[in-house]
Amino acid sequence: MSLPVTTQSIKPYTGEKARLVRAYDYLILVLALFLFIGSFHLHFALTVGDWDFWVDWKDRQWWPLVTPLMGITFPAAVQAVLWDKFRLPLGATLCVTALLIGTWITRIFAYHYWNFFPVNMVLPATMLPGALVLDAMLMLSNSLTITAIAGGSAFALLFYPSNWPIFALFHQPVEYANAQLTLADLFGFQYIRTGMPEYLRIIERGTLRTYGQYAAPLAAFCSALLCTLMYALWWYIGKWFATTRYLSKI
Amino acid sequence: MKIKITQWVYTLGLIILGFGGPVQTALAHGEKALEPFIRMRTIQWYDVAWSKQQFKVNEEVAVSGRFHVAEDWPVSVPKPEAAFLNVSTPGPVLIRTERWLNGKPWVNSVALQPGGDYEFKIVLKGRLPGRYHIHPFFNLKDAGQVMGPGAWLDISGNAGDFSNGVKTLNGEIVDMESVGLLNGIGWHLFWGALATGWLLWWVRRPLFISRYRMLQAGMEEVLITPTDRLIAKAVLVAVPVIVLAVNAVAVNRYPNAIPLQASLDRILPLPALVNAGQVDAEAIKAEYSVAKRAMVFTVRIDNRSDKPVRIGEFNTANVGFINPELPAVSSQAPATAAVLKLDDDTPVRPGETRTVTVTAQDASWEAEKLDGLINDADSRVGGLLFLYASEGGERYISSVSAAVIPKF
Ligand SMILES: [Cu+2]
Repeated sequence: MSLPVTTQSIKPYTGEKARLVRAYDYLILVLALFLFIGSFHLHFALTVGDWDFWVDWKDRQWWPLVTPLMGITFPAAVQAVLWDKFRLPLGATLCVTALLIGTWITRIFAYHYWNFFPVNMVLPATMLPGALVLDAMLMLSNSLTITAIAGGSAFALLFYPSNWPIFALFHQPVEYANAQLTLADLFGFQYIRTGMPEYLRIIERGTLRTYGQYAAPLAAFCSALLCTLMYALWWYIGKWFATTRYLSKI
Repeated sequence: MKIKITQWVYTLGLIILGFGGPVQTALAHGEKALEPFIRMRTIQWYDVAWSKQQFKVNEEVAVSGRFHVAEDWPVSVPKPEAAFLNVSTPGPVLIRTERWLNGKPWVNSVALQPGGDYEFKIVLKGRLPGRYHIHPFFNLKDAGQVMGPGAWLDISGNAGDFSNGVKTLNGEIVDMESVGLLNGIGWHLFWGALATGWLLWWVRRPLFISRYRMLQAGMEEVLITPTDRLIAKAVLVAVPVIVLAVNAVAVNRYPNAIPLQASLDRILPLPALVNAGQVDAEAIKAEYSVAKRAMVFTVRIDNRSDKPVRIGEFNTANVGFINPELPAVSSQAPATAAVLKLDDDTPVRPGETRTVTVTAQDASWEAEKLDGLINDADSRVGGLLFLYASEGGERYISSVSAAVIPKF
């Protein structure tokens, strides 16, 4: 499909040229996809790490704080490039999709087939709803400020509610060892992890518990604030690295 | 033009790859990984036994035993304020169904007391057939893994037969192997489909070179059409609405959901079993002969019980040295072959205080990498000394430790 050309002087490529340009598009796309599958996934594993790996790390305080904050980084940088240079509003969705492809491959092959963990114990969280909103927000506003504030906040605020349908059932209480546990805690106890003793879990700790039961919304709002700053920071990182200033000399 | 775009991709790639680093590697067996003084002077295991070593998938097996937390806990090792009794499996080839400490069930981490005596039991259930070397061990916070004695387990049967049903407080029985899996995959597919739709909406058009040219030419309104805007507005409204709606459904469906449970268990030590007072043993001096691979202790024994006692065993880091004159005793099963020699093996009479030279000579010092002690910053040796009453067979245990002087 070609774009309708209205007023300006540039005409769309036709014939052989159009085919070449299209082939180039696909080349870049496939390259970018693999690049993001590898790099964003690695970045995520090194920063969010255990909070995303294990069902018994997905708490109300740290998980909804850390995950969107680290998850908004690459989307912001890639959006900066794709929107600024090409008016393509798909940076965030592309990044998060690539992340999830990489994550699912690791969970199934490394965690399940290689290390024998049941897949439901290592289900990844999703950030796709937030990414879609982020892309749509950038496209409609065409503004870094609005996307950072409204989009960044939405990215953080949507995280917990979009994942609760996946993880709520793991929070059903079980009576075990004369105590009340969640199914998630029970996974951590039953399915032996030699390098991951229980005390390493960074969960349900901190000063956000002032409002008792409302720990998750508070963590989400806190994350929203930080995501706004993180978005702007990574937007500039993306922009800075996409500059052609250094290339003109070549 | 082409060069510029390629360069953007390359430079972007370089920065992203810059985040590369070592991916977390699974911890291996690691029996000998820790410095010898940590293995000898923190958790001192004894009487560890398996209920059976050959069993089928779905069958349960128990490992039980005792450990003493050394009084002479190394100063460079953080105190055991959070410790986790674990099992060294290659992944969950067994699942842990129960764990007991001093007769109390526990699932979290525990604070241990130096000088304390504990009794443990772990019940495991076969999940994947195979032959595995398994140890009970302690994860000590900020210190590492202190291994207990290992044993070979043979699990036979079919992996597919494994089942792990758990009853929730609502009375529903769930299968831990699959609960929530399809639901989770379903949600990922749902959002994945929406994301793919959005991506395809854009990707089906000429992308990079064409759009870059048109943007440079100021043809912005051609790149983002009114239909695009309409769809983006729909996304902006529909996605949050769907998220909030399905979240509300999940909240209603699981009204009893509770937060993850994160408590530290406080389980008090047993009445003293080691250094219990009736028979005292104290290491005054220890010399390690590098050539002979022999640790020579000078031990003062103070027998305040009413029966004569003899030294039966010295055990450290799961290496047992047995006095062959008392062959029936060993704190380990199967008994290790190393020999403990005494310069005076006549029973210590009630009320008598005697200084004995005890020699623990064996290649194990080297094989288990315990001889590295003499080069460590903390070169104190420690272990459990077992004494037995000649009549009645009562056992007295002392946790001894002394600085080691190497003899080359
Ligand atoms: Cu072993």
